[in-house]
Amino acid sequence: MTHSTSWRSTLLALLITLVLSCLILAENTSYESDPGWKAPANAAARANPLAGRSPAAAGGRKLFLRECVECHGQDARGLEKKHSADLLLPAVQAQSDGSLFWKITNGNPDRGMPSFSKLPELQRWQLVLYIRTLKFPGVGHE
Amino acid sequence: MLGGSRAQESPYFVTYTHHMEEPGSLDVETWSTLGVPRSGQRSFFAPYVEFEYGVTGRWTSELYLEGQSTAGADATFTGWRWENRFRPCAREHKINPVLYLEYEGINEASRIEKEIVGNAGASAESVAELSQTHAHELETKLILSSTVHDWNVAENFIIEKNLSHQEGIEFGYSLGSYRPLASLASGTNCRWCRENFTVGGELYGGLGSTNGFGLHDTAHYLAPVVAWQISDNATVRFSSAFGLTRGSYPVLLRFGYSYEIRGFGSKVASLFRGKP
Repeated sequence: MTHSTSWRSTLLALLITLVLSCLILAENTSYESDPGWKAPANAAARANPLAGRSPAAAGGRKLFLRECVECHGQDARGLEKKHSADLLLPAVQAQSDGSLFWKITNGNPDRGMPSFSKLPELQRWQLVLYIRTLKFPGVGHE
Repeated sequence: MLGGSRAQESPYFVTYTHHMEEPGSLDVETWSTLGVPRSGQRSFFAPYVEFEYGVTGRWTSELYLEGQSTAGADATFTGWRWENRFRPCAREHKINPVLYLEYEGINEASRIEKEIVGNAGASAESVAELSQTHAHELETKLILSSTVHDWNVAENFIIEKNLSHQEGIEFGYSLGSYRPLASLASGTNCRWCRENFTVGGELYGGLGSTNGFGLHDTAHYLAPVVAWQISDNATVRFSSAFGLTRGSYPVLLRFGYSYEIRGFGSKVASLFRGKP
């Protein structure tokens, strides 16, 4: 075996090992709620510019189905295998619009929640609007 | 469920933003660069395939396989690249830095023009000869990216070193800005809605090398770009880059198609664990 071939084989083995490691790492099986994940006061105080524009929530629902279902589920109750939050819980619904907007914008990448800053600002507010429409079954779900 | 979407996909071909691939998602992308020549030059077609994987929320890894075909010559495989992007900051800031590191195992026939660095210089050698000259290159970038209202503004600074030959360190840059055509999402599933389109522009080029830093004898391009999200998990992009200097090709036509598989990592990992 030449030096060049050996070098390539080593690089290939390294690459395969890394890819498999990546797949396991991305599982995020150790997720727990992060008490340190809190919006700054000024961000939490922001009001939703779409408040009162309930038709915009329909667009928020579409965005939710596209962007959020993978981790939070169709019913927004969270997926156990993803260790994702149940968005109907009072702990979520009690947060201000500004706080939810900040969390959608920044994400919590070290805990598996990606940043959605790539969405236009108004679309992130649409998501907040839709989350506000979520209710427990039997409590006036839309 | 496979699938999902990447709303507001960046339309850039060269410039990188601070937006990372979502953890566990795999993007399979095909790209093509068509070089329209000056008189005396030959046109070329350089396709490449990219596999982009979100390792974590702050680490994205990509593998490229590339080739090219020049008019009047056989098509040839031109090599592979392994790219990694790391986002040091967990939160959004006014300017978001991302560190980029790429290893390239390519040959001198590579024409995908994924980045423009160093000086411009057309080789008189044939594609067959060029493909026999291998190059191991290391490339780093400092990516700075901001969200200003609905606009993305990104600046990339590039440093590249050919490890195979005694060459200087080459420099380059890329600047870009884009925005979606609509800020609000409609409540209906539509494909031709303005919200599914992003438009913008890129400016990129070489800045010489340690043997001669500056704009002398370098290639630069100005490129309008557009992306269209054609389905929940597929996006097409198009760009027509216009050469600004004599060292540039007059036009580089670029086309891209990407398909995202969400939850790819989870599904593969579950195969190894034997879980459904």
